[in-house]
Amino acid sequence: MNIVPQLILNSIIAGSIIAFLAVSFNLIYGATRFFNMAHGTIAIFGGYIAFFFFKTLGWNMYLSAILGILAAGLLGYIFDRIIYLPLRKRKASGMIMLVASIGVFTALQSLIQIFFTSEFQTLSDISVHDRLYTIFGATITQTQIYILIMAFIVAICLIIFLKYTIFGKAVKAISDDEEVAKIVGINTNKIIGLSFFIGSGIAAIGGIAVGFDTGLNPTMGMKLLLHGISAAIIGGVGSVYGAFIGAFVLTFVANFSIFWISGEWQEAVAFVLLIIFLIFRPRGIIKR
Amino acid sequence: MKNDKNIIEVKNLVKHFGGVYAVNDLSLKIPRGEVVSIIGPNGSGKSTLVNLLSGMVEINSGVVILNDAEKLKKIKSYEIQDLSITRTFQEVRLFEQMTVIDNLLVVLTNRSVFGSFFEVHKKYHLEEVERMLQRVGLEAKKNQLAKNLSYGQRKLLEIARALLMKTEIYLFDEPFAGLFHAMIKTVSGIIKDLRKEGKTVILIEHNMDLIRELSDYVFVMDEGSLLAEGEPDSVLKKKSVIEAYLGK
Repeated sequence: MNIVPQLILNSIIAGSIIAFLAVSFNLIYGATRFFNMAHGTIAIFGGYIAFFFFKTLGWNMYLSAILGILAAGLLGYIFDRIIYLPLRKRKASGMIMLVASIGVFTALQSLIQIFFTSEFQTLSDISVHDRLYTIFGATITQTQIYILIMAFIVAICLIIFLKYTIFGKAVKAISDDEEVAKIVGINTNKIIGLSFFIGSGIAAIGGIAVGFDTGLNPTMGMKLLLHGISAAIIGGVGSVYGAFIGAFVLTFVANFSIFWISGEWQEAVAFVLLIIFLIFRPRGIIKR
Repeated sequence: MKNDKNIIEVKNLVKHFGGVYAVNDLSLKIPRGEVVSIIGPNGSGKSTLVNLLSGMVEINSGVVILNDAEKLKKIKSYEIQDLSITRTFQEVRLFEQMTVIDNLLVVLTNRSVFGSFFEVHKKYHLEEVERMLQRVGLEAKKNQLAKNLSYGQRKLLEIARALLMKTEIYLFDEPFAGLFHAMIKTVSGIIKDLRKEGKTVILIEHNMDLIRELSDYVFVMDEGSLLAEGEPDSVLKKKSVIEAYLGK
């Protein structure tokens, strides 16, 4: 087996999963200007809700996935209404919002552990053999192809949506100057609430993808988030397009680093790349 | 004052920042459909008054009465459009990452959030924005990012944004500062047009020639209080006003 095609495919698949986190993180960051540390765990929550309906109740897989996405979107929206919105009204700083989101992350992770235990749970059905495809000597499963296609569809739809709809322009305006956005009549709180709903729902697609690809664990939200944030920073914070590019840059560099250093250092390579960007190109590949 | 109907009445308004009173027990009446200038030396509380009227800072005490009826002890910035008020800023505030045309299109946002979710801007939105860009002379810059405009162009874009809000009350905070002659002509033309349309303009300005040319009535503020008021020519001749500006 030629290792390079396999590394390319692995990078694209891992990049696709991170892309869900990165683009959705950037959508919420764009509207709120704070680092939502609960975002990864909300993604995992969506995965667990899909797991509950699909595996525990035996419902249809697609319906379960949709319910997982909607539940995560709703949870993100509720967190905004009851925690972040009151803080915004009190003009809380980005740091206070970040600390609040760490609280949300801790509480949500604990609740997932209580309801679903700390064991790994997988969404893939071992009784159904996942079809394998070979491309230039590299193998990819059918599920991974679905993940890849979904990532591209979601990113393209989100970019078009934000560019052309009035909602997208309102998000951009809020991102630039929330106070002036209010003065020109934009209902900033509702737009931000909807951004949380959409962003959390998209993150949940990533959580569900992880559930199918490698399996779910309640504590993996933070790791997913860190990769998502890294990709968002590398691509350009606040830019959905940049975050999508950043996700693939991150995974390609991390995966191809095994040519030079041991594979167990892949994670470290990803964060070294982040540090390099923070020092030399802090506004990312796609500068806003 | 020509008009008995007041669009804004400010009664005993107070705003302090710690121990410093920026607006101190201020009372004044602004008639509907006139251009009213607020002048005074730097730090006299003019911009704070505009910030209070636009909900940018909280009122400590006092009341703002709109249309001789609606008494407001609190004004929220997100409500001012519903109160038919809009404003510009002394230091221009635009949506910097957006193009000139998008800076204006966003004002025409569907008020229903779910509506905005599915709606793209219509042809008549674009036509309205194009007309406005022509009016302020920025049509050639429409696809540029706002952050790349010159200072004067930024001022004009901010004024265009305010005009698109189609409110009854316009608060212009030093709209002529830093503008070239041609731009000053454009902005003074806009203010005259607003008066013709029956809109109320509250103008903060330091250029006395422009105040004489544009204003129906002038309020002079000093140390957060009202020093003088009246028609421009008589007010600007008052000894107390000259002293406040030039020192005793």
